[in-house]
Amino acid sequence: MPTNSGMELPTQKAVRLIFEYDGDTVRLVSQQDVEMAVTGFDMAGVDHPGYYVDTRDAAGATLARVAAHGAFAGSAEVFPEKPGDPITRVEIAAPKGAFTVVVPVTAAASHVAVTRVAPGAAGQAPRDASARGVSDAVTTDIATFPLTAPTQPASSGGTP
Amino acid sequence: MSTADGTVLGNAQIFGGAPRNRAFNVVMLADGFTAAQQNDFNNACAAFVTAFTATPPFDELKPAINVFRVNVTSTDSGADDPTSTGGTGATPRTYFDSTFGSNGIRRLLTCNNTTALQTAAAQIPEFTVAIVVVNSTVYGGSGGSVGTYSLAGGATEIAIHEMGHTAFHLADEYPYYAGGAETGHDHHPAGEPAEPNVTTNTNRATLKWGWAVAATTAVPTMSNPACGTVDSRPSPVPTGTVGLFEGAHYYHCGAFRPEYDCKMRNLGVPFCRVCRQVIWNRIGPLATLQARARTPINVVARFPEHMDVFAVGADGRTMSNWWDVASGWAGWFHVSGGIASPGGAGSPVTAVARYAGHLDLFTVGTDNRVYSCWWDRASGWAGWFALPGIVCRPGSTVNVVSRYSDHLDLFTTASDGKIMSTWWDARTGWGSWFQISGGVAAAGSTVTAIARYPFHLDVFAVGTDNRVYSCWWDERSGWSSWFTVGNQSCRPDSTVTVVARFPDQLDLFTTAGNGSIMSTWWNARSGWGTWFPVSGGVASAGSPVTAIARYSNHLDLFTIGTDNRIYSTWWHDTTGWAGWFNVSGGVGKPGGQVAAISRVTEHIDLYTVGSDGLVYSTWWDGSGGWAGWFALGVT
Repeated sequence: MPTNSGMELPTQKAVRLIFEYDGDTVRLVSQQDVEMAVTGFDMAGVDHPGYYVDTRDAAGATLARVAAHGAFAGSAEVFPEKPGDPITRVEIAAPKGAFTVVVPVTAAASHVAVTRVAPGAAGQAPRDASARGVSDAVTTDIATFPLTAPTQPASSGGTP
Repeated sequence: MSTADGTVLGNAQIFGGAPRNRAFNVVMLADGFTAAQQNDFNNACAAFVTAFTATPPFDELKPAINVFRVNVTSTDSGADDPTSTGGTGATPRTYFDSTFGSNGIRRLLTCNNTTALQTAAAQIPEFTVAIVVVNSTVYGGSGGSVGTYSLAGGATEIAIHEMGHTAFHLADEYPYYAGGAETGHDHHPAGEPAEPNVTTNTNRATLKWGWAVAATTAVPTMSNPACGTVDSRPSPVPTGTVGLFEGAHYYHCGAFRPEYDCKMRNLGVPFCRVCRQVIWNRIGPLATLQARARTPINVVARFPEHMDVFAVGADGRTMSNWWDVASGWAGWFHVSGGIASPGGAGSPVTAVARYAGHLDLFTVGTDNRVYSCWWDRASGWAGWFALPGIVCRPGSTVNVVSRYSDHLDLFTTASDGKIMSTWWDARTGWGSWFQISGGVAAAGSTVTAIARYPFHLDVFAVGTDNRVYSCWWDERSGWSSWFTVGNQSCRPDSTVTVVARFPDQLDLFTTAGNGSIMSTWWNARSGWGTWFPVSGGVASAGSPVTAIARYSNHLDLFTIGTDNRIYSTWWHDTTGWAGWFNVSGGVGKPGGQVAAISRVTEHIDLYTVGSDGLVYSTWWDGSGGWAGWFALGVT
């Protein structure tokens, strides 16, 4: 479409974080400002058991939550050499590895937390419940790390 | 064996041309390739690209996919291969320190994930997934945050399966943990898995992939009669049938997968319908939307800081994008697998927000039946379901009015042109379709409706004699007869646009037989006015006139002109009609539509299909005037 002032949608400001873990010990290896669109937030569900990285403000309020898929895996997949043979899994005695997430950041973001969400005391959703929203989940912080400047958004974020 | 055992030479883009900040970026890293063997790595990457981009749905998503290779030399060739797991005992010095035999299993090929992620981030900061290609013909691979695979035949399948986990959060669909002979995996624990492709829920109404299950498919589709073992019987339904197949997520019973087979269950088979949809909705939003040329776009503001936009893709997919002041545009996604009917401009997706946490959608499907689905803040998207009792003209529009939050009124045209309506009420559910007062619409004409009061409806259409007709419904008197509004002759496929600046006033807009944009009005005190041309404007054949009222004494109009430019004019009670002007240089499709919404009084958002077939938007703000057009995608 020819326009008199062709525009690009501004991209949300984000930070890529790389973590290394050995058991429950987590180390933030790097944080890198990156301008990239992150899709699929609606697929993650809310507070399902698993590991997440939260961005938080100085008062500790969570601003954004991104799932840390593949982190702290207690087992590994073993693939068959022959087609048709089953894929299997083996336990990992001492989970150790690294993972990365890209988290959106706003001016208010001051630190990140690696969190574990576990099913609450009341258990998980009943058999015929919706997939979304295990409301009684318990969140535990495994580690927190300060965000380093600069993380100021480049624009107001796509306001038409 | 570390980064001292090699050098990062640099990167090259080997597939795609999408902007890196709005793309699914795959980074392939070399390990165990010496300087002299870099061409072998290049060839392995090319083979992966061929396999990857031919795998549905990635084959449909190529415009949003980039693949980069990062050439890294290693001092030695190959990977560690411990004798303790049956290997050769090789211990080459490689950059990412890849090794077979992890966890005591030779085929479990792993590398130093930290180094791989850091290298990928340094070379391509916007990367989505990182894959390490290991220079060995011994079969092996692994997943997790970094995919690893060797050059053995078929190992690329490992990379694609692992991408399902890492990038799309898909679960394993195989029904065992260690091949089926294990103990403790007879019954899946209680609770719904977070992943989108496995479930413990057997309720069709709340099944998370219910949108993909045909009403004729039994649920569950296949149950395991002996939970002590894996159910190895053949599928009772044809390949590709989506339902509920028991045995998934490492358990023989109690967990279900969407299809009998899937790449998340077995290597070498396609992704199932549900996994394809999940992948599509992860990558698709990164791209702009190639829309049906004349698709009417629908926009709803559930609250002033949020918009939901609905359009139909060039392939008929029912698509949506949303904007929120806090997060910008989310990107286009496919709504519950829907495909809208072609014909004319093609059936649009119409939407209404009965309250801020809920959307109801309507369209005509490829079988020309009326379909609906909803989104609710608490439960997300439901599947499309048919509203029985009507077959529509191909490409018909289903217009919807919510007179109050627990009620919907629908209007459309049947295959024989009859003007049809039905309703939904929270207390009584869906009513039956009925013909409104014997009315028949001209071919291509849509039925428009407005509720000036919760107990009153005004309905408009172009009749078979190409005249504008109206009738009304009132709670006290029921449906009136149809009557002609003046003597205006229209294009047969004209839409009669109606806006109520206040409850006792209606303003109508349509296009005359020669394309002239015409208007008239009705007022409770003075009755109907006469038709008059609006500032000499002429619309492109088939283009409707869009009207919004930001104030009770102000109207804004939009259309596509005969030169296919996007035009606007306005009326103000003190100054009358302004001349038509081109909005920000915009050019649309012949016969296209301009959608408009005013979320707040001093602001207008517009949407249309541009001359290149992409969906564009612009806005006007009282403080800054008109902005430029931008292709709608993800922020």
